[in-house]
Amino acid sequence: MSAVNLTNTDFQEKVLQEERSALVDFWAPWCTHCRRISSAYDKIAEQYGDRLLVGKINIDEEPQLADRLQIEVIPTLMLFKNGKPVDSVVAPESKAQIEAFIQRNA
Amino acid sequence: MEHIYDMVIIGGGPGGYTAALYAARSGLEVVVLEKLSAGGQMALTTQVDNYPGFDEGIDGFTLGEKMQAQAERFGAKTEYAEVFRTDFQRKIKEIETSQGVFYGRTVVIASGAGPRKLGIAGEKELTGRGVNYCAACDGMFYKGKTVAVVGGGNSAAEDALLLARICEKVVVIHRRETLRAEKVYHDPLIRMKNVEFCWNSTVKEFLHREKLTGLRLENGKTGEETDLPVEGVFISVGRTPVTELFKGQLEMDAGGYLIADETTRTSQPGVFAAGDVRTKQVRQIVTAAADGAVAVHYAEEYLAGKRACSNASVFRV
Repeated sequence: MSAVNLTNTDFQEKVLQEERSALVDFWAPWCTHCRRISSAYDKIAEQYGDRLLVGKINIDEEPQLADRLQIEVIPTLMLFKNGKPVDSVVAPESKAQIEAFIQRNA
Repeated sequence: MEHIYDMVIIGGGPGGYTAALYAARSGLEVVVLEKLSAGGQMALTTQVDNYPGFDEGIDGFTLGEKMQAQAERFGAKTEYAEVFRTDFQRKIKEIETSQGVFYGRTVVIASGAGPRKLGIAGEKELTGRGVNYCAACDGMFYKGKTVAVVGGGNSAAEDALLLARICEKVVVIHRRETLRAEKVYHDPLIRMKNVEFCWNSTVKEFLHREKLTGLRLENGKTGEETDLPVEGVFISVGRTPVTELFKGQLEMDAGGYLIADETTRTSQPGVFAAGDVRTKQVRQIVTAAADGAVAVHYAEEYLAGKRACSNASVFRV
């Protein structure tokens, strides 16, 4: 199972209105570092999929959403609990760093 | 007993995956430990035009993925693991990672090198949004704009010259009073009309909103600070190998590169160094790939030697 592609509508329903925690990767096709994390991020979705929703949002397709969440630099991974953003990490350099981020907020 | 691989490869760039390909095709059981994604440094390059076989050029990230897929077709494994500690002293080498401990009869270190960073706040976040390390890769994004080059060596001078042909204006920022670059690079640069120099200066701060808007410079002699508006900066202050983990275990030169000749053998038997991490003259994708193939040849020789020894001892018993 790879990371789920989320639109603005999905985001409202699956992230903001859910009690389940969600991890969202804000990315764009032109961002080289975003591409670099994509396969490790899919692995994260596989490993943590039973505990949290692992999704991604293309900021070129959902610019208002990125603006509202004040995403200034990509890739930004943001963790939501009870529909609220609780923490974020910018441009992680390894899969281990993403996992440490998840565990820190567990 | 824990699982023991014939070969554990640290790093999934061209050196690592070529070693994986050759090892897997030779019937060795091999795993590549990669912390983020295949390709290494070349994954950040949008166009690779000097790797043979791709007449139209190829995107570096895609080339990395292809090298991974090719090695995996023959049974090589990949683990997205960050290496924390290694122990190469014994016959079975131990590599402790974020995904557990891996054991190998041989190890190929292909952890690569990276551009040396300035070490200023926001540097990582602004990379690709005004902060760059490769003029040949990203220079075209700044066509007709004003950019700065930080550094005074040959590669900084070469970058500045390349950018001067593309950009409106290039400002070279160097902490000394003259360039360290050789005359052959120096002279043409001085002659360019759109190149300016900021001597005795260092970058103190990146000025930015979403993207870089300028640099705050400090003059090392007077202590005076000035703001220089630029849309991009190219940092060219040398490269640094990823060898921190191996200090005290493997011999390195003053720059931190693993000492190994064209056989890729390091100071520790059974441990090989492939690609940019090794002491060598030419650091290119194609030479890293070549190292990978060579490392497997000498690893096989090492393994064959080991087996012969253990058989001999069996006979004695």
